[in-house]
Parts: sequence; structure tokens; C-alpha cells
Amino acid sequence: MKRAAFYACLGLALASQVHAADPGVSDTEIKIGDVSIMTGPAAFVGRGFAIGSKVAMEEINAAGGINGRKIVVVTEDDGYIPSRSFQALTKLLEVDKIFALNGTSGTANVLAMMPLITEHKLPTLVSQAPAPLVYQPVRPTVFTFGATYDNAFYAQLKYIHEKVAKPDAVYGLIRQDDDFGKDVELGFERAVKAFKLNAPLRIRFKKGTSNFAAEVAQLRKAGVSVLANGAIFAGAANILAEARKLDMPLTAAQVWSEGIPASAALLAPAGYDFLVGDYVSLVGPANDRFRELAKRFVPEGELKNISRYTYVSYIGMKALAHAMQQCGRELTRACTVEKLRQIKGLETGGLSAPVDFGNEQQLSGTAVAVYQYDAKAATFKALTGFEQY
Amino acid sequence: MRTGHMKLSPGQLIALSDSRVVWGWALAGGVALLLLPFAVSNYGLTLVVSAFVAVMGAVALNMLTGQTGLISLGQSGFLAVGAYANAILLSDYGLPVWLTLPAAGLATALVSLVVGVPSLRLKGLYLAITTLAFSFIINHAILYAEPLTHGPNGIFVKGATLFGLDLQRGMPLYYLALGLTLVTILAALNMTRTRIGRAWIAIRDHDIAARAMGIDLVRFKLLAFAVSSFFVGLAGALLSLQLRFINVDVFGLILSIEALAMIILGGLGSIAGAVLGAVFLSLLPEALRLFFGLVSDPNSTFYTNYVFEIRGIAYGVVIVAFLRFKPDGLIGMWRDIRKYWSNWPLAY
Repeated sequence: MKRAAFYACLGLALASQVHAADPGVSDTEIKIGDVSIMTGPAAFVGRGFAIGSKVAMEEINAAGGINGRKIVVVTEDDGYIPSRSFQALTKLLEVDKIFALNGTSGTANVLAMMPLITEHKLPTLVSQAPAPLVYQPVRPTVFTFGATYDNAFYAQLKYIHEKVAKPDAVYGLIRQDDDFGKDVELGFERAVKAFKLNAPLRIRFKKGTSNFAAEVAQLRKAGVSVLANGAIFAGAANILAEARKLDMPLTAAQVWSEGIPASAALLAPAGYDFLVGDYVSLVGPANDRFRELAKRFVPEGELKNISRYTYVSYIGMKALAHAMQQCGRELTRACTVEKLRQIKGLETGGLSAPVDFGNEQQLSGTAVAVYQYDAKAATFKALTGFEQY
Repeated sequence: MRTGHMKLSPGQLIALSDSRVVWGWALAGGVALLLLPFAVSNYGLTLVVSAFVAVMGAVALNMLTGQTGLISLGQSGFLAVGAYANAILLSDYGLPVWLTLPAAGLATALVSLVVGVPSLRLKGLYLAITTLAFSFIINHAILYAEPLTHGPNGIFVKGATLFGLDLQRGMPLYYLALGLTLVTILAALNMTRTRIGRAWIAIRDHDIAARAMGIDLVRFKLLAFAVSSFFVGLAGALLSLQLRFINVDVFGLILSIEALAMIILGGLGSIAGAVLGAVFLSLLPEALRLFFGLVSDPNSTFYTNYVFEIRGIAYGVVIVAFLRFKPDGLIGMWRDIRKYWSNWPLAY
């Protein structure tokens, strides 16, 4: 009798362990965390990102949720400061008890959160800063969606070399003196080597620089006609504005952040029809469909904040949801990670190449499409489809 | 509450406090801090450790700016030197943490002398700009000295164990931070009561008069830089242990501005003020988050769309209001409260 009672208790204990839900999962909801840039000069990145999470969440919940559980997104602001990202994720883990993480801010920010992600075995989708530092070395619970800046610049320079530039074109690079700038330079050097480009000039500048008069004068002196512009937002706009002042005939390859309507509007006055390489679609039927979907869930005034960051966040959340769905009602972090690893050919409705995490680096979305901005019409047009470079 | 301040012996003049009530409160506060980890969550501990780092930085800046009158905007640079020294020695060279922490402080103190020497001929805004330039140089040096600092890639800080305890998380980190903060505060309090502290105050009040009295300006100004930077370096090392990852983005210029705001808001020149200012500014964002969580309607579209902007504006408004209505800072407010109760019911 005693033995039977003992085994019954043991069985119950084991069963309760098996069914013990991980943090962030209740009978009715699943909490997903999002650490984003919601304040400061780059706040429009976070605003766009938040819309993507919200649209995905509402769409999934309207369709019945994840095996009957609704998704709840909890957003924390880090102001693009790594120490605040660490604090924000601590709060999400300890106070809000999130189950998984979708928004991870910039590269340094996600690295600052990495010890916590690893320690809590937190299923994490990195789609905002897909830098090699995030997936090399591979962290078991971290899945990265997106191409490198290296690939994005290589794709643009390849297109320019093959379709736009004259044979005697002179190529130049201007880039930030950080990890992001290094990655841009990698793509530039790869293109220079592959196509034997005439590239006499590479300029580094300190992050935060706003006056590029001297740098652009150097570009002009070197006769640069194709520029790999590795500055972002106002910096990128200032470089093109300086080039316009000097009447430089220029074909410019840009960072994907310049594909945001707000940044494109900053670059437009210089009048250059610049190029952008991106791993999400900037224009086309997929984007139109998304906008129609967003109208159902997002207030009219917020629609103007839709940008490429909206699409990456939407795709990240859909991939997470797909993995969680596969786990059934017994949802655990371990199962979600396992199912994320098994994702193969997950369609994104044309917003990017299909998602596929079944590789050693747990990396997807590396295919890049090249777009061109029409400064007069203030619109982008696709020059290529999504291709691997 | 005691109202008189008559000192009857030289010993009373140099004692930290001759009031039993003060010692009683200090003891109660110490016990409360020792028991705090048993009462708050891990997130609460994270906030408190961040506040400790801020207290160390503010108290150290107060030695330089509040007591010696040397305005520094280079605190983020000093903090970076301490954090990087600790991270490199710990993670790359595998030295024990009991050695890397003081080494981080010493490295920062040495580097501060490089800034201190040209700063000897400068005062006020000129010195502020010089120290600001220093923090830019430090950032550049970190980015370009890649073989040593890992450049823009940053460093994952690991291996800080002592007696089998992991000093980078939970209670061990809390007690380490508490210990270092108390050491910093005690050092600052004691320095003020020595010849060195009095020389610093004399330099702040009138450097030419101080020199006429026989105070060696070169020696004492450099000493102020070195001692202050030692503790800022320790704070940087502690920050690196808490974050477990550092790169140059962690040490933005805003940290220097915040440190200055802490000592001004707390009450310039006062160590207790620096502590109050640092705790207040460190915990204010969290207090605002809790406050808005209580008073706001979670279904309000306006609030949910602009919650972060609203909190940011409120943060600025609180600081401006304090400076406008309480220019003596938090310590001035505390003195007013104390005076009010001491004189009650005759207070006016």
C-alpha cells in the first residue's frame, strides 16, 4: 500500500514537472518580449518595429491564437543604449515573465542582452540587427533573420558594376568606425576583388559625425563616381547633400535603413536616385497587402510609421508563432527552440525570401534584393528579386 | 532631534559623526541594505546595483567637481577605462577578480593623470571641454586598439568568481556592489576630513589664496583627479561585471552629463547630496514607470502609443522642477525638513 502511494506521488511529481509551463505561458496567453528603440533620435526604428509585432499579434489572435492562447507583446524601451537593453530585458524576464523575445534593438544592444538570453534559454528572434557577431558563435536559443551589411553592399555594387556604371568608374567607400562599418567595408572589398574595381579611396569616420565636407572633398578629388555610403540616417543625407553642393555625378549604394520613408525623405533633397540593398521587400504587392492588413489593427495615424522594420518584426513574430504552434498545448521554451530549428521554407507572403532556420548558424533571410529610390516621385522600385550573394 | 553643533574637542571635529542618533540610523540603514536581497526580486536587485554604480560615480565626481571645483565631462571616459581594464584582465588574461578590481581603479587613476597634467592651467568651461575631449580620445583609442580592446566588437566579461561565488549575478554581485559603494563613500567622507580634503576645498573656493597659504596646486589637483578617477574606474569595473558585455556604445557622453546632473541635483559639494542625487536619478525612470502604470488607462490609444515619450518628458520635467524650486538640491531639501522638525512648533 505504502509502495503504491509512493509511486503514485512520484508519478504525480514527474507529471507535474512534465506539464510545468515555462515562464510567460498561462492557460490563456503567451507573453512575448520586445526591447526596442522607442525614444531618442532613432525612435522611428522602434515605432516601425512595434507596428509589425502588433499586426502579427492581432492577426494571430484574431485567428484563434496559438493553440487557444492569445499572444501578448510587452515592449520595453532601451533608447539604443546597451546598458538599458540589459535592464529592459531583466525587467521583461523578472517582472513580466516573458516566454520569448522578438525585438532586440541594435547589435551592441543584443550582445548586452546575450548573457541573459543564454542563461534563461530564451527563444530569441533577432531580425533588427542581423550582424555576424550575433550568430557567430552560435547561441542555441538565438535565431537570426536577415542578411549582413556585407551582402547588402556587395549586391548593390554588383548591380551597379553590371548595369549602371561606366567601365572607367571610380569606386569609393565611406563608413563608420564600428562593427557595422567593418561589415560594410567587407562587402565593398569583396566587390572590389570580385569585379576588379578601381577603388582608390576608403574613408572611416567617427559615429555621430555630422559634417562631411572634408570627406566628400576627398571623394571628389579621387574622382569617385560610385559611392558605397556607409553612413546612416542624417549622416547619409549630409554626405549626399555635400556631394550635390560639389555637383558630383554619383551613383550611391546605401544602407537599408535609408529604405525607411523618413530617412529616404532626408536623402531626397540631394536629388540622387540612390540604391538600397535589403532582405525585406520595400515595394510591391506584398507590401500593399501588408498595409491593408495593418489598417485593420493599427490606428490611421500610426500607419505612417510602417517601414522595413515593421516587416522584419512581423516576420520574426510569425516565425516564433509558427514554432510555438507546432508545440501544441505543452508549450515550452525547449520545444519552441527545437521547432524554430525545424522551420523550413516558411512563406512570408512575399515580404522576404522564405524563412529557413535549418542550418548550423540558425540564420535565415540572407537573400538580398536591390531597390532604387526615385527622388522626384519619392518611391522605390525593385531592381532585382531576392538573391543569395 | 539635535540642533546644536558645538564641538568641544579636536576629535569631535574629525569624527564622521559625534551623534549617537546618526550612528543609530546608519546602523539601521546598513542592516536594511544587508537584508534587502531577501526582500526584493532579481529585477529590484539589478536596479539597486545600477544605483550603486551611479552612487560610486557621483561621489567620485563630487570629489573632483564638488570639492575641488574642477568641472569634468570626462566621467564616461574614465568609466570606460575602468570597465575595459577589468574586462581585459579578467576575460583575456584570466586574472582573479580580487586583483582586477583594484587594478581597474589604478589603471584609471594613471590615465587620469594624463588628463590632469594639461588641465592644471585650465579652469571652468575650458577644463570641462578638455575632459570632454579626453572621453572622445578614449573612445577612439578603444575602437582602434583592436588587439587589446577587441575594437568595436566589445568584450564578454566572464570569470569573476570568488570563493566559488559568481560575482556577476544575484546576491554576490549585490554584496560586492554594496561593499564597494560603502568603501567609496567612507573614503570620500574621510578624505574631506584630512588635510587633503581641506586643501581641495580651499582650491575650489579660491585657488590663488590657497596657493598663498602654501597649498601645492599641482599636487593637490592631480591628486583630486587620481583619487576621483580611481573610484570611477572601480565603478566602471563593477558596471562591466553587472552587464557582462561592454563596448564603446555603453559609455556614451550622456553618462558624463548624467553624473554631473546627479551631483547638482543632490547638492553640489555634499557627499550625502551626491548619494541622494545618484539614487534619485537612477530610480526615477522606474518610479515613473510604476506611477504611469497606476494612473494611466491601459486601453488608451494615446497612452499606449506615446508611453515612452511621456515618460521621457516627465523625467526631464522632474529634473527642471527640482532645479527651479530646490536649487540647493535634495540635500538642501533634507536640511529644510530637519530644520522644520527641530524648530517645530516654532518653525516658519
